[in-house]
Amino acid sequence: MYVGRRMTAKPITVSPEDTVMRAGHLLKENRFHHLPVVAGEELAGIVTDTDIRNTTLEEPSVNGEGEVLVREWKVGEIMTRDVITVSPWDTIEDALVILHRKRFGALPVVEGRKLVGIITKTDILAAFIDTLRIEGAGGVRIEVILPRDVSFLLRLIRKLEEMKIEIRSLVLSPFRGEFVAFLRIGTIDVANVKSVLRESGFTVPALEDFFG
Amino acid sequence: MALRIEKLPVKGMGLPHPLPKREIEKGFEALIGENRLFGAELNPDIIKKEGSKRKFLVSSLPSRKKLLSRWERLFRDLVSPARFFERVSEKIQEFEHRENMLLVGKDRIIYDTQIALGSDVVGEMTLFFLAERDHNLGLLAYLRGRRNRIVYIDHIRLSQQSSGYASALFRHYETLFHDLGFHQFRLSASLSVGKYYWAKEGFDCLDREEFRRMKEGVRDLVEKRGFPVEEIEINRLTHVYDIALFRRDLKIPVYANAEGYYSFDKDEEYREERTFPLGKAYLLCANPWDGYKIIYTNTPRRTGLLYSPGYLNHRPRTGHPESHKRLGKLVEAIRKDDLQGSLVLFEPFLPDRRSLEMVHPAGYLNEFRNSVRTGKKTFATVDCSISEGSFDVALLAAGGVMAGVDAVMNGRVDNIFCAVRPPGHHAGRASAMGFCFLNNVALGACYARAVYGVKKIFILDWDVHHGNGTQEIFEEDPLTYFCSIHEHPTFCFPGTGRRMEKGKGEGYGFTLNLPVRPHTSDREFLDLFEKEVIPEIERFRPDLIMVSAGFDAHNDDPIADLALTERSFVHMTQRICEMADTYCQGRIVSVLEGGYNGSSLTSSAIAHIKTLQGRS
Repeated sequence: MYVGRRMTAKPITVSPEDTVMRAGHLLKENRFHHLPVVAGEELAGIVTDTDIRNTTLEEPSVNGEGEVLVREWKVGEIMTRDVITVSPWDTIEDALVILHRKRFGALPVVEGRKLVGIITKTDILAAFIDTLRIEGAGGVRIEVILPRDVSFLLRLIRKLEEMKIEIRSLVLSPFRGEFVAFLRIGTIDVANVKSVLRESGFTVPALEDFFG
Repeated sequence: MALRIEKLPVKGMGLPHPLPKREIEKGFEALIGENRLFGAELNPDIIKKEGSKRKFLVSSLPSRKKLLSRWERLFRDLVSPARFFERVSEKIQEFEHRENMLLVGKDRIIYDTQIALGSDVVGEMTLFFLAERDHNLGLLAYLRGRRNRIVYIDHIRLSQQSSGYASALFRHYETLFHDLGFHQFRLSASLSVGKYYWAKEGFDCLDREEFRRMKEGVRDLVEKRGFPVEEIEINRLTHVYDIALFRRDLKIPVYANAEGYYSFDKDEEYREERTFPLGKAYLLCANPWDGYKIIYTNTPRRTGLLYSPGYLNHRPRTGHPESHKRLGKLVEAIRKDDLQGSLVLFEPFLPDRRSLEMVHPAGYLNEFRNSVRTGKKTFATVDCSISEGSFDVALLAAGGVMAGVDAVMNGRVDNIFCAVRPPGHHAGRASAMGFCFLNNVALGACYARAVYGVKKIFILDWDVHHGNGTQEIFEEDPLTYFCSIHEHPTFCFPGTGRRMEKGKGEGYGFTLNLPVRPHTSDREFLDLFEKEVIPEIERFRPDLIMVSAGFDAHNDDPIADLALTERSFVHMTQRICEMADTYCQGRIVSVLEGGYNGSSLTSSAIAHIKTLQGRS
């Protein structure tokens, strides 16, 4: 999965010369939190709602006669210039790792220095929901604990195939030295599937031991 | 030997206790003293011609011992003979009973009277009181004294102007005989106006075959005369009452002869032309028929049960949870529980394409039909196992809910439980899943709107699974409120029904999803129901309440993980009945969805039905 497929292409942008007020209104109207700043087509920086909030917290300056000076900030003055970016051909995993490590909310997507899109945490969550098929009617999740040996996974899938159960998604992840397989299966009669699996020697944890 | 154990009377109905024997005896003596009590035998050579001979021969009175035992068998000593005589011959609307007497025959007690208005005799009437074995109940129940007690209206003749009296008398008798524990009225609708009148009174054919012939008769008549009537309108007829009210807008001519008999043919002298609505005209000209009517006022609310043996013809593969046996067992249990006697029974009809296409696109219906016709084993998903009859049975299930809507909307019953299968609430407009093919509840709701103009419909879905199909169909409709309370989608099929799903567009705020955690018990479940569901019904003020009543949230049900008992279903039923009484004249159409453990399904559904009837 590439970033290019999941990003928002042609995002709304501001220029460094725009006022912070205008940037703030854009964020409010469109209900998002990040605005790439472009000069021409080139990415110049990024401004977030946090940056804007911080400017409002600045101590107002007062002149000799005691008048409060209202200063009009420009985007160029408050934006982050040193932006971490990804390219459309980076993968979702790349973006995910960066977002997680740096605790960012969004990454501009560039080709060379040209801005082509933006990818946010929400896009990545959507990718996960689609991959795991959490949404949509007709599927239900079961968990099976397997020894760390692929042959057991094979046996599990064979068993399900034998029962003609549709597997809608399958995630295998390490768990206390074993594997736990998270499956979404397309049947209403889950109780029966679980009991057949248990009879065939698989460990299907009870709902009380639910992992997710 | 304590063999005579009768079911305890219904709470709140205040049935009297049996009287001591000497009270009964005193009653008999009083009647004998007044020359009102005789013995009788059926007359072997009855001459039907009016007024010439009675159907019975008055003979000497049987012994006191026999009198007492016969009285007890029929009237359970709930009333003394003298008092009974008084009640049965009560003066109503200036009409009095004269020359009346009580006759004790071998297997029946007979009441015979003349009816007079002032000094004129305007009619006569004979009633038989009998008890017969109820074949729905076992022999043991019979030995314990459980019987079908029947009031047979053997003969009633009234002059034309006293039809208001007939109806008032009938109301009076309904309460009287109900309180005395009678189950049925029976009669033979043979006289001219009677054939129509009794149908309108709610009598149905004793023999289903006879009704089928009647329906065919209507069909023939319509075809022969080329009346503008659609096929579906005739298919929808399930009760003689429906025929009586059939097409009141369509007046057709019939011919009456001098004795007041009607016919469609004008072939002799003395035939006067009159016009009547189609259904009425048909009954007036039809053959005599044997009718019965359940004395069903013995529950506070009148409740219907819709079922057809046809529902057993959808046969998923062996080992499939949604087996025909689950419904078979349920119906058997209803029969054995003596519920049947207090329920008004209904049958489904086959809906036409147009009413199905209110929900499901033609392409989907064709695809489903073709899968069945070409002998496929499943349709759309593995869960939806199909057999030869599946398409027709699915149609019949949808038509069942429609017939249920008919029954409730035209006032024949207050509420109804439709024991249908296959279930429907997972079926979307064009998707089958989770044992469901057609969305029965949604089709019923659309039908109620199209045929009866019902505006606001509240659908409560307490099946353990989210009713994703029904939600999909109505999520943009602000006039159909869909409320589902189910096991949380992370743990349970179909993985939808989160709280955040609240409807779309104009329908936003008219979908309510209440997921509950696995192992939820009665208390938490009902807490949630009281806090969230009831206020929503009060806010919405529905004109009709429909229930997707699945009973698979029961603790014993294998398919999911909730821990409810019958108590939850009883409580919820009680509360929606109260809501229905407040907002929509008690109208509830409840439709069976899931429930896969034979015994918990049976006990929960029976508790649900009894609560619908207003007893608990």
